[in-house]
Amino acid sequence: MNAAIVGIGATDFSKDSGRSELQLAAEAVRAALADAGLEPSDVDGLVSFTMDTNAEIAVARELGIPELTFFSRVHYGGGAACATVQQAAMAVETGAAKVVVCYRAFNERSGHRFGQVQTAAAANIDNSWSYPMGLGTPAAMVAMFARRYMHEYGATSEDFGRIAVIDRKHAATNPHAWFHDRPITLDDHQSSRWIAEPLRLLDCCQESDGGVALVVTSQERARDLPQKPAHVKAATQGSSVDQFTMTSYYRDDLTRLPEMGVVARGLWEKSGIGPSDVDVAVLYDHFTPFVLVQLEELGFCGRGEAKDFVASGALELDGTLPLNPHGGQLGEAYLHGMNGIAEGVRQIRGTAVNQVGGVEHVLVTAGTGVPTSGLVLGQG
Amino acid sequence: MIDVEKEAARIAEQGESAPRLARDPINLPMINNWLEAIGDQHPGYTEVAPPAMVQVWTMAGLHGQRTLDDPLGQMMGILDEAGYTSVVATNSDQTYHRYLRLGEQLSVTTSLEDVTGPKRTGLGEGWFVTTRSTWWVGDEAVAEMRFRVLKFRPAQKPAQKPEPVEETPKAQAIRPSVNRDTEYFWEGTRLGELRIQRCGGCGLLRHPPGPMCPECGATKPKYLVSEGHGVIYSYVVHHHPQVPGKQTPFVIALVELDEGVRMLGEFDGEPSVGQRVEVVFTEVDDELTMPSWRPRADR
Amino acid sequence: MRIGDSLPEWHVEATPTFVISTALATRDFQDVHHDRDLAIQRGSKDIFINILTTTGLVQRYVTDWAGPHALVRQVNIRLGAPCFAYDTLKFFGQVVEREQQDLTIEVVGRTAHGDHVTGTVKIEVPA
Repeated sequence: MNAAIVGIGATDFSKDSGRSELQLAAEAVRAALADAGLEPSDVDGLVSFTMDTNAEIAVARELGIPELTFFSRVHYGGGAACATVQQAAMAVETGAAKVVVCYRAFNERSGHRFGQVQTAAAANIDNSWSYPMGLGTPAAMVAMFARRYMHEYGATSEDFGRIAVIDRKHAATNPHAWFHDRPITLDDHQSSRWIAEPLRLLDCCQESDGGVALVVTSQERARDLPQKPAHVKAATQGSSVDQFTMTSYYRDDLTRLPEMGVVARGLWEKSGIGPSDVDVAVLYDHFTPFVLVQLEELGFCGRGEAKDFVASGALELDGTLPLNPHGGQLGEAYLHGMNGIAEGVRQIRGTAVNQVGGVEHVLVTAGTGVPTSGLVLGQG
Repeated sequence: MIDVEKEAARIAEQGESAPRLARDPINLPMINNWLEAIGDQHPGYTEVAPPAMVQVWTMAGLHGQRTLDDPLGQMMGILDEAGYTSVVATNSDQTYHRYLRLGEQLSVTTSLEDVTGPKRTGLGEGWFVTTRSTWWVGDEAVAEMRFRVLKFRPAQKPAQKPEPVEETPKAQAIRPSVNRDTEYFWEGTRLGELRIQRCGGCGLLRHPPGPMCPECGATKPKYLVSEGHGVIYSYVVHHHPQVPGKQTPFVIALVELDEGVRMLGEFDGEPSVGQRVEVVFTEVDDELTMPSWRPRADR
Repeated sequence: MRIGDSLPEWHVEATPTFVISTALATRDFQDVHHDRDLAIQRGSKDIFINILTTTGLVQRYVTDWAGPHALVRQVNIRLGAPCFAYDTLKFFGQVVEREQQDLTIEVVGRTAHGDHVTGTVKIEVPA
């Protein structure tokens, strides 16, 4: 695509930001623009998540962005992350806007916590087949998939735990990560309490307050800006047969994420690269079992083989597919996947704290269990 | 001598009054009048109405009269005849299942829930009359009210307060929302039937249900009544956080029914994948019966 | 918003205009809410606030405090002394239950004659 991410910005990641979600959004956007060497007056497009409470016009007011010619929202929770960049890239390519900022900001720990049972969500007809039966948290909804995956492929809680250990290991050397300097062992994982069997506490990502913003513009414009651009090689969304939000339990197979398979096909086709060309994988990790399933859907290993792929050490920083060098959402912060895109940009720039050598292509995925999206970022 | 209790039983047996339509659909001018009068500057009532307005929509109006089948009106008449001529409202408990949107047309039905007495109260001897009203949008119950009045024979010295009536609210289980596409299912559970949507065109069985068959496009869904037997396809043991109306830990099982569709429900027992189960129905209240699973001994 | 938190005290001046305009805005045309002569004739000392308005005031008291994103799920009230024209109705409230995002608030509305309303309001706070 003729688009690049030219600026990234974030607030601190905390458990209690002490400020409004709008302030977090405004601070993140301002930081991203400063990073890009652009002014608020250069911005003419804004994209966010449907779930974000900060209206585009409110963000524009705070930043002093005078005019917008493009504003858009993407549905389905964390599944929106990479799709915000897709929206921005399409807007830039079609001329709908010249400089588009994607943002996501929330007080997800000190305010509205997604991990609690959202009684109001039961008002949705789809949720009436799960919430009233007592299945009302994201962890429990993923646990239903995880149990079947274990049953079919012989995966164990330890296989899930290895993902948490890797993320926390990478976060331990990232000063921006909430779990900086706090690695865990597989024993720590195994002794953490049950949340929704078979998921333990350390299978579940943290809850965070914070904001992240990304600046997207054309490749021509990017050449005149101070940062090395991260080119959008491919961006796509994915939804699949009999799709539900978190509870796609009625398909033939409960061990897959076919919507991520749709994303994978689109990314490989559009970017012209394949799984073996990926130098860094930033995979959405709100719950560990879905990282295993993603590895299979994206073609890094065969069905049911993810546990062996992970155990082989492939996901270490010096492995064949370094995973979440920033620590992911289990280690750095839960920003609905947007902090993972920022990490992808840093890996392309060569400025990450846990920089992988010779990065040509970074794969980033968005929320799993929901209609989702993905990105391939690359050098120019 | 009028037998108040017998009359009350007769009226209660009539059940719900016929639905009475609100004069107007939910509309902004009425909302704004209400907000202005109450002095409420809440910014959120531009597309939905304040919940506490629910009764306003179905008020009888300036020249309104009670309909003949209105149970409260009938009961008041009987108590008037029995010499309990004064009335004071004591309780109004309103539950809002959801916010009402502009343009929605409400109707209300009322039934007599309870008549107790005669009781000695600060105001004099009297009867507590409790009615239950339900507000509907189409077939969807959107709000409910339990309303209690004291119909009394004035004492010599009226006191300030009627006898207090204790209500202890506790965390309530999450209720499903029900619409035209799904009401057959919840109707079924109330009758002890586990219903599976069956396409009237091609016979496809489907759960969760929907209005249009994805196979043949027909929009005439019917249902069959499941035997209620199946196997556990997957399950979760929920520990944290607390879930309204449940005691942790508890098991939720995804059951593959013998008819071929999957369905979620709470499971009472030690779960394992492949275990045979059967459906059980638990009545939550008059409107809601939840299906759940228990082990089945047959194989 | 924790158990034990108090809501700020709130005073409503029940002027005749207030009593009448709220009665009409709630479509309650009973004479005791707008016609003083008839109200006195019926043994009341003045016109007084109708129940639908009391319900509305209780809701407003809680949402003014909880903010516009709180969802009101239940208003349960017990009615006591009437609130007459020229009375000052004073509201007090306290959080008595919290289960995750679901709060129960106990509310009292009091005039010089005693408790006009006591009750509980259940809300859900999303953020």
